[in-house]
Amino acid sequence: MTELLLGMFVALLGLGGGLAVGSGMVALLVVFDLIPRLAQLANAYQKSVWFESALVAGSVYWSLADFLDWSLRLPLHALPLAGMGLLDGIFIGMLAAALTEVMNVLPILAKRLQLGTFIQALVMSMVLGKVLGSLFDWLVYQW
Amino acid sequence: MEAVGSSTLYLRLRKRITIRPGEAVTLGQAARLLLHTPLAQTLGKLELYRHRPEDGNRYVIDILHIIQTIREAYPELTIEPYGDPQVLVMISPKPRKPRKVVLIFAWLLLFFGAGLAIMNFHADVSMKEVHQRISELVTGKRQEHPLWFQIPYSLGIGLGMVLFFNHLFRKRLNDEPNPLELEMYMYQENVNTYVIAEEMGKKQRIEKQQRQADD
Repeated sequence: MTELLLGMFVALLGLGGGLAVGSGMVALLVVFDLIPRLAQLANAYQKSVWFESALVAGSVYWSLADFLDWSLRLPLHALPLAGMGLLDGIFIGMLAAALTEVMNVLPILAKRLQLGTFIQALVMSMVLGKVLGSLFDWLVYQW
Repeated sequence: MEAVGSSTLYLRLRKRITIRPGEAVTLGQAARLLLHTPLAQTLGKLELYRHRPEDGNRYVIDILHIIQTIREAYPELTIEPYGDPQVLVMISPKPRKPRKVVLIFAWLLLFFGAGLAIMNFHADVSMKEVHQRISELVTGKRQEHPLWFQIPYSLGIGLGMVLFFNHLFRKRLNDEPNPLELEMYMYQENVNTYVIAEEMGKKQRIEKQQRQADD
């Protein structure tokens, strides 16, 4: 009896913790304007259900998979892995770009240094820096 | 008291309209009209602008241009404009439909991306150890997999997100828009404002060049 009550109490704790983490996660993503940008690319401003379901399904599935050691055991493991790596990379890239955008890093830098005409070059330097930095990180630093 | 031979045209410009290449924009398309004479029908068909290939795929019709066009055709009308001072004309060959392939790509991107982000967060704050510790503190036994905690926790993440998006109780509790829709609307409005400002600037530059060429 106490076993069951304890279990339910723990479950309540877990649910509460999850609620806090989940709403924090979406609040962060919404602030970054990442989804409106994707909606613009897909010409789908009216289809917010798609974007919401992807976020919710992804978060729930992957945290369950993480805790319970669910393995998909996909065949040709290099191929799906590369696809997922690319998708995850794009996501993090968008997140990083959105973060600098929210912080107004580039406009301020361009204005202070009077480099407004070179903003394209500044963006490219950041992109190249991130790509090379990531490659260096995995291939050399954390090898 | 109504003045003889004169009447007032009230018009409210629309925010943005879409036409096909080569088509014309009439007053009735660009604005909603209120006029208490039979003139309203013909006035609605007044042509404001015809698309030329060199204009590209967007164009801004200014209220001043509209007033001038109406004045030339009907000098006796008094014009009272309301709403935005310009209308944005988007020119596209076919009606803008959602792009399914990009939409599916975006879905996958967000699905895997959200998974990566949440696992990143868990690894960052040693969430697994914390879960084991909480379950030990509550039950007194250390478990490698405190399922009673972890499964509700994971479902809670989903529930929290759905609550944030205001979908679950929208029909019952309130009909406020969800934050994502609001953010999308703001984004679209910002894009519109920027496009209008840019097009107006372009038009002014062209006019200036023409004036210099005339001198």
